[in-house]
Amino acid sequence: MSSMDNMPRASKSDLARRWYVPQEIESIRSYYPLVLIVALLSVGLSLIRANQDAIYSSTSIVLVHLVVLVLLRQLDHGTKNIRDGALAISGIGLFLSILHHLDGPSLWIDIWFTAWAAIPFVLVLAAGSMPMVTLWVSGRLTVKAAELGLRKNKMMAMKHSHALHHLILFHAVAAVALPILWILDVALSPENALGGGFMDEITGEHFEKLISSESFWLWTRNSFIVSIGTTLLGLALAIPAGYAFSRFRFRGRDSAMFAFLLVQMFPGVIILVPYFLVMKALGLLNTSLGLILAYSVTALPLCVWMLKGFFDTVPRELEEAALVDGCSQTQVFWRIVLPLSLPAVAVTALFSFLAAWNEFLLALTFNTSEEMYTLPVGLASLISSTGQAWGDFAAASLLVSLPVVVLFIAFQRFLIEGLSAGGVKG
Amino acid sequence: MKRLLLLLLCPLLFGIVSAGSVNQIVLDGSVGYRQVDIEMAFSEPSTNGTHYEIMMNDSEFSRTDESILHSIIIVGETTGLMQPEIGEWYDDCHYDPGDGVFVPIYRESDGTAVIPNGTLSVGCTLTGIPSGQEYYFAVLTIYPNNTEVLSSVIASSSTAEDELAEPLKTSPYLFAIGSISLSLIALLFGLRWLDYRDGRTSSKGAHLYIAPALLSLAVLTFYPVIYGIWLALTNADQSQLGEHVFVGIENFVTVFSTSGFLRVTGFTLLWTLVNVVSHIGLGLLLAIALNKHGLRGKTVYRTMLLLPWAIPSYITVLVWRGMFEPAGAINDLLGTDLNLLADANGARFAVIMVNIWLGIPFMMMSISGALQALPKEMYEAAEVDGIGNFSQFRHLTLPNLRSALVPLSLLGFIWTFNMFNVIYLMTDGGPNLDFDGPGSTDILITYVYDVAFRDGAYGVAAAWSVVIFAMLVVFSWTYMKRTNATEAVT
Repeated sequence: MSSMDNMPRASKSDLARRWYVPQEIESIRSYYPLVLIVALLSVGLSLIRANQDAIYSSTSIVLVHLVVLVLLRQLDHGTKNIRDGALAISGIGLFLSILHHLDGPSLWIDIWFTAWAAIPFVLVLAAGSMPMVTLWVSGRLTVKAAELGLRKNKMMAMKHSHALHHLILFHAVAAVALPILWILDVALSPENALGGGFMDEITGEHFEKLISSESFWLWTRNSFIVSIGTTLLGLALAIPAGYAFSRFRFRGRDSAMFAFLLVQMFPGVIILVPYFLVMKALGLLNTSLGLILAYSVTALPLCVWMLKGFFDTVPRELEEAALVDGCSQTQVFWRIVLPLSLPAVAVTALFSFLAAWNEFLLALTFNTSEEMYTLPVGLASLISSTGQAWGDFAAASLLVSLPVVVLFIAFQRFLIEGLSAGGVKG
Repeated sequence: MKRLLLLLLCPLLFGIVSAGSVNQIVLDGSVGYRQVDIEMAFSEPSTNGTHYEIMMNDSEFSRTDESILHSIIIVGETTGLMQPEIGEWYDDCHYDPGDGVFVPIYRESDGTAVIPNGTLSVGCTLTGIPSGQEYYFAVLTIYPNNTEVLSSVIASSSTAEDELAEPLKTSPYLFAIGSISLSLIALLFGLRWLDYRDGRTSSKGAHLYIAPALLSLAVLTFYPVIYGIWLALTNADQSQLGEHVFVGIENFVTVFSTSGFLRVTGFTLLWTLVNVVSHIGLGLLLAIALNKHGLRGKTVYRTMLLLPWAIPSYITVLVWRGMFEPAGAINDLLGTDLNLLADANGARFAVIMVNIWLGIPFMMMSISGALQALPKEMYEAAEVDGIGNFSQFRHLTLPNLRSALVPLSLLGFIWTFNMFNVIYLMTDGGPNLDFDGPGSTDILITYVYDVAFRDGAYGVAAAWSVVIFAMLVVFSWTYMKRTNATEAVT
């Protein structure tokens, strides 16, 4: 430190400048790629709307953003003049953004675009005129001040990076929420109107109609029969196999396990046509049994792998002790292993149930009579070339997905673990 | 066969009245959905310039002006005319050129039916007969000199029910399933016996435990796969199921000569690549955004971002379709007047966007899991060395995530390649659905579905499936080989 104090003033501030960049400037620079993307989208929207004035103003905003970005980059080895230029141009950009906003319609999206256009300019204006930045760009920064600034930078970097993360995640959540809010609006709007203001008229007519309609309950019943049948049959097949793969070393074990992996690689489409013909020949089209058989076998490899993984975690010592005490192998399985792995079995059951509940392609192909529709096919039939019952569809969608979503979210950790284990291995 | 026999008997049963005229028409007894088969026998071989008019009405008639014309058959020159096979034209007709063997009738370019000189009899499947109602038919013979002879009138009613195909014979399928099961059981017994002989006691009952799962897998997955490969080599379709015969590689020729084969394959590749790249890119972005230590509201964000995966996909796809309608939310939000789904490129953009929306959560969660497994010390060391965020990502995160990203992207590739729901429910392959060939947004598997269940060409569809499977295997194999190769280098 003492040697630094002896140095001439100018070189000291050069040193400070080399080691120190105000976090405000740094953060604005790293936000700028997002700003430019949004600004380009704004130009795109103006092009789609074919609004001449908006095209000019949004294009010039993009150019101004570019100039500001270049000036911000120059600041490191620049002078006070460059900072002043950046401030002046940001002011012009702010003015342009407001003009652009007043020019077009003010929908939510326009407000959003204006915010994305104007806020960076405001930030540049605010950050650029801070005393610390002024010292930095004018080369009058003392080493002491730079040290203080560096400490402050660390705190600020944390805050700013959190803000960036919130910004990205908030936009992602908005993109996810958009269709959900829309379907809520359609379900609660009278008749089958798709547009209209958000929640301007609220009615429960679609829900009433649905609850009193026969076909909805018929589809629900079919879906329940198929899904519960699939779960039971799938578990009955998968539990013994998973147990055998986990516990026993026997001849043909590796080939059998490979066979299960291989099936997961088969795309469904290659089986669809022959599957359909075999089902047709056996008279299993338009029956619940046909779908139950197909679904339990489709889900089988994944269930076997999931259960094998769970059984592997049950300590063998327990079983060995029971065997020594005179239990038979079957008793060990029923009395010790199965009760211990009940949570795992429950997760596998839930997985089979959800897979069957949501499956569309096989249900569409196998069950062509309206009597035997499951919910997916039934709901899709509400929106077809002949009918556009959007209101009823929206209400039914909400009723059908709510329990599924709740189950999925509640058990997400286990489901995702099992699925990615099976999926990545497969 | 029945039809042939009746026709051979016709000249014997009904005497000759007038040279070359149709004096009798008979039903061959087979009726279908809105269709009736009739046979007409000529008293003498037909001569050039004569034509026959098939008349019909819903009440009995004795004069031509009381009836309506169904179709006309002309006797004339047939060289250079097309001769469509059964099922390729609206009214299937065939004629006996004199040697007792029936061949399809000739058609002029406008569809007029033509038979050559010297024909003895003609059989036709008349379509468009109102269903379930008694109808009367007769044939009017018009000679070149304009004299007319009306045949006797017969009555028949078409069925109201659509009978698509003959019920399949169950026994061959049961036989195949039975023999597969028995041989598998025998195999398991053999393995069990070998284990017993070698004195392996730890495998007690193991073969019994896996038998049910293995049996159902063999019967309900491996058997259909092999049967599918066999189907691809036969002429199976909706109208001749159970009687299909081996035709060699004919179906594969049909597949590769389909107009638009390259277009649909190209779009499938574009669809898959754009989707997988976006899924991984955006999934990685969100996973990193969520991985921030001490970020507030992380659980809420994570739960919200899981929703596209948690909601049944058929529902969200239909919701998006509604939003893309001209009156839907997209136009309301953007303040525009678009009809994306009616435009080929717009529809392509829309289906890809919806599938990106659907697929991100899976990748996000999988990458999140891999990120959490990365050692924290590595980043702390980088922090001490003053390495910036982007460099950390570029030189630490990405290389370490590689082992997770390679299998994930392969999985994503296979799933997206086979993603049926999005395209079927959003656009059903449209807009611009051609008569024979894929639509603008069809990918391979939605097109195969159409070939199989809209056109009823099971053999061709099976051939498509084999081709698609081969493509998938080749792509996956190349991908794995290349990624393994680069892994060995680094």
